[in-house]
Amino acid sequence: MRVSKEALLIILAFIAPIIVELRTVLAWANIELTVLESVVLGLAIVALVLVWAFFPEDESSSETPERQLSNGD
Amino acid sequence: MTMSESGGTYIDNFPAEARVVRSALYSSFLALALGGLFGIIQTLHRTDIYRFIESDMYYTVLTAHGVFLVVTFTIFFLVGVFTWAVTTSLDRGVEDIRFTWLWYGLMTIGTVMAAAAILAGFTDSIDMSADVLFTFYAPLQAHWLFYLGLVVFVVGTWLAGADWFRSWWAWKQENPDERIPLPTFMVLTTMLMWYIATIGIAVSILVFLLPWSLGIIDSVNPTLTRTLFWFWGHPVVYFWLLPAYMMWYVMLPKISGGKLFSDPLARVVFILFLLLSTPVGIHHQYLDPGIAEGFKFIAMTNTMFLLLPSLLTAFTVVASMEHGARQRGGTGYFGWLKALPWRDPVFAGMALAGLMFAAGGFSGMINAGMNINYLVHNTLWVPGHFHLTVGTASALTFMAATYWLLPQLTGKALWNRSVALVQVVLWFLGMTFMSNSMHRAGLLGIPRRTAEPQYQGFEFEAGVGSVAELDFQLALGGALLAISIVLFLANVVGTAFNGRSDDLPANEFAETLSGPEDSPQVLDNLKLWTAIAVVLVILAYSFPLMSIVDRGGLYGPDISPFPVSIETLSLLAFTLEQYTTAAIATTGEFVQTTLTGVIR
Repeated sequence: MRVSKEALLIILAFIAPIIVELRTVLAWANIELTVLESVVLGLAIVALVLVWAFFPEDESSSETPERQLSNGD
Repeated sequence: MTMSESGGTYIDNFPAEARVVRSALYSSFLALALGGLFGIIQTLHRTDIYRFIESDMYYTVLTAHGVFLVVTFTIFFLVGVFTWAVTTSLDRGVEDIRFTWLWYGLMTIGTVMAAAAILAGFTDSIDMSADVLFTFYAPLQAHWLFYLGLVVFVVGTWLAGADWFRSWWAWKQENPDERIPLPTFMVLTTMLMWYIATIGIAVSILVFLLPWSLGIIDSVNPTLTRTLFWFWGHPVVYFWLLPAYMMWYVMLPKISGGKLFSDPLARVVFILFLLLSTPVGIHHQYLDPGIAEGFKFIAMTNTMFLLLPSLLTAFTVVASMEHGARQRGGTGYFGWLKALPWRDPVFAGMALAGLMFAAGGFSGMINAGMNINYLVHNTLWVPGHFHLTVGTASALTFMAATYWLLPQLTGKALWNRSVALVQVVLWFLGMTFMSNSMHRAGLLGIPRRTAEPQYQGFEFEAGVGSVAELDFQLALGGALLAISIVLFLANVVGTAFNGRSDDLPANEFAETLSGPEDSPQVLDNLKLWTAIAVVLVILAYSFPLMSIVDRGGLYGPDISPFPVSIETLSLLAFTLEQYTTAAIATTGEFVQTTLTGVIR
């Protein structure tokens, strides 16, 4: 998990106002969503955040400098 | 800064005071429970989602919601946290604990009296009601018990202030060359503002509303009682907010892992609130026909100046948090935000409250502007605004602060930190939905203070979405807030019944990066700032009040002006003008002398 459960809770809280007003903001760009579309979009954003949060960190990327070092040797 | 040599918890160092503070906080939470209950009833009724009261009872519910939350909940919390702040920062107990219990007792008796009058409105079997809302000016009239209860309550707060001043004077005798410790300075300046502000409501109740409700006088001048109400009604906003500000200044930096950025800046902020909180109340009356536009313009100008201390606070508090985050290893322009202790409900609650307060500040600017105010006046926008300020900046900070204070006051660990974190986040979410929908509904012109906002033969039209969606958002937000209150109260009760803990942090508040030694001595001259505040109030209010009385009579039209006649009032006006001019001249000389001394 990339972040703690508590941090995830805070991130989701911060996203809430954005989701709530996203429909209004999109309307300024003449993109008019129905309630259902707004809910689906909101859930999709939450799902993306959850996937990002629960997806294991790429451990190989953190080891890259070490490998490069050893290759250099 | 360690507040006691022993470094123990608050209850270890001040067991007698801890009992009073605890009682004040529990009284506050009882009011929160009642006020929250009436809040959800009102939300579900207004949005027509679930109704089980008659609409003619809506004002009883609304009055109970308003009075219990913005008078009882907030002010009981304030007296508790201020007692904690004074005793902790002076490192001495109160001078006489019986006096402390006296003012707490008066506040409780006053609350019971006012609450009895309000709640009696739910039954026809008692000939008593107080369906006058929190904004209890004429022409709505309450039972005399309501007004008398408010008087007793306010006298209790005056005595509480006297108690804290007494502690400070006693401390000053022993520490003549010391600067006033910051938390005590904040308490004293807030109380000076309160003493000035409550003059308006004292006159309104004692001279007009109480005699009117007792039948001693036949009528009142509604514009006058409105103006006197708002004389108090705006500064009371800062009475709710300043304890939250104090916690942001003295606790948040410490919990963030750092120090307060600037003690002098914090003092300047509280002085500005003392000076500017009261001479602005007329901005609540932009649509009142009995007040000249010029007076309203002056009130608007003063109000815009009030943005300054709030912006200074935003800067200082965020700078302090950034300092804390960098001490914890945070880096980058924004990366430091991740290093903050978001897991801690005390921090998360206060930070989320501060964030929402920023949004409330922006909508407050709309309210304060004379021209754009006309767009939102008396619409649901206004409740949307103050649910962000008192309903979140104050309430959520108080709840978050409770998670730190309650263990200090009881010696018991917090019952459940995870529940506490969920609770503060739920409040943020609930208020996002509720306040956002209120603001948007207000822009459509949907009125506040009504059980039936849906006019017959007329449809409000939303620019984006629909009114039904806004109603749903409002009800959803209200429901989340109600759940949040239940979780909060569960944590309070759970903590109260927890066993004693030996593993609690010491009773401390934040150290400073720039301390009081960096600020001029004149900042601690409370007499000077009070004198200037009084002069500003006289300038802002004397002529509008005289004009209102001149136009509508002291006790309203067609009523004999007893005991003061218009002729004597003109004489009074002339005398007041002379005194004001003299006071300004004296204050000007005093300020010049003082500033010259400081500059040298």
